[in-house]
Amino acid sequence: MLNSQGPNVSIDGFDGPLELLLELVEEKKLDILTVRLGDLADAYLARVRALATLPADEVASFLALASRLVLLKARSLLPSLTPIADEDEGESEEELRARLMEYAIVRERAGALGDRLRSGERAFHREGGSPVNLPPRGGDMSALTAAWGRVLALAARQREEDMVAPGERYSVEDRTAEIEQIVSERGEVAFSELLGAAPTLGWAVVTFIALLDLYRRIVIDLEQNALFTDILIKRKERPPVPQTPA
Amino acid sequence: MSRTPLANSVEAVLFVAEKPVSRGEIAKVVGATPRQVDAALLELAQGYTGTGLRLAHDGDDWQLVTSPEQAGAVSAYLGADRLRVSPASLETLAVIAYRQPVTRAEVEAIRGVNCDQTIYTLMQRRLIEERGRREAPGRPILYGTTWEFLECFGLSSLDELPRALTPEGGVLGPAEASAKTE
Repeated sequence: MLNSQGPNVSIDGFDGPLELLLELVEEKKLDILTVRLGDLADAYLARVRALATLPADEVASFLALASRLVLLKARSLLPSLTPIADEDEGESEEELRARLMEYAIVRERAGALGDRLRSGERAFHREGGSPVNLPPRGGDMSALTAAWGRVLALAARQREEDMVAPGERYSVEDRTAEIEQIVSERGEVAFSELLGAAPTLGWAVVTFIALLDLYRRIVIDLEQNALFTDILIKRKERPPVPQTPA
Repeated sequence: MSRTPLANSVEAVLFVAEKPVSRGEIAKVVGATPRQVDAALLELAQGYTGTGLRLAHDGDDWQLVTSPEQAGAVSAYLGADRLRVSPASLETLAVIAYRQPVTRAEVEAIRGVNCDQTIYTLMQRRLIEERGRREAPGRPILYGTTWEFLECFGLSSLDELPRALTPEGGVLGPAEASAKTE
């Protein structure tokens, strides 16, 4: 194995034949535009011999270029032979030179990209995360004030109620009948009215269950025109029983 | 110097966006024509000169990113590791970046070696992505660079790719380079 100048296997690929050729050009400080590539055949072959330890398929691409260089060298030594070789056997010296020049540009660009990467001067974008959570529509400052006022009123009343002896009992059946009565007489009633100005928890629960029961039995309709507004309880207009076609 | 209201609207949209926003989508949400958006984007881009932010774009998709000069502070905050790419992968990446969209065979023709492994590695790191297929025999997959590529290399757009010197010593732009080799 030659020194570190030679091709070496790296984790994700290995330096190819073009790079080896380019290295020879640079090492010998030759001009890529004018160098006779055939002249590099011997130096190239010396390097390739050292590659014998590599897997065969990897060496193959190096050997292909080596044969090309040897042919170019042979032609330059015996110019008279050149016309004979018009059975055509692949790329000419100029084609190979063009390829080598293009590769040189790629390598330079790769180097420039590598420099950028090493400088660490990269950009970052705003990281994922959850989008801003918007509150439900309909809330505003006055609604907040009103809600706080109601909380304060409830808190004050709570203390009064504490002094009232519990024991009040409500029955869902009675309450259901009551509401059904109200609705059938008046057509509609607001939920806040059913609750009354100072509902106890038990009263509110019984009223609520009664409403659910009435809704289930399709006696009433429930309606709320906007978020956080009062719920309207309406008498359900029963559709006429459809006549079953004969 | 104050900005136009439209530039401010575009800036606000790009600020909350977590992914690149297309020119058309910006136009739709700010209620302007795509041409007006172009002007606003140009105005913004100039306004960010010398600040901690930059306007980056990949084709018609735009995004607000941090400026490369601030990479140190932002990396420290995010706990981001520096990306490492082998020289072989960098060569493959260079070919794809300057000649995209490009097939694996074309990359291999230029590098003169098999590029399966480097393309796989670059895909894994999301520096390149598939860009459809070439309508040619075998319908080979086309590859191009990603937003991650632009970010990792601190580029505002593909126009900022480092220029290489030609063997003659002149500066070679991406377009010239492609034309030269075709």
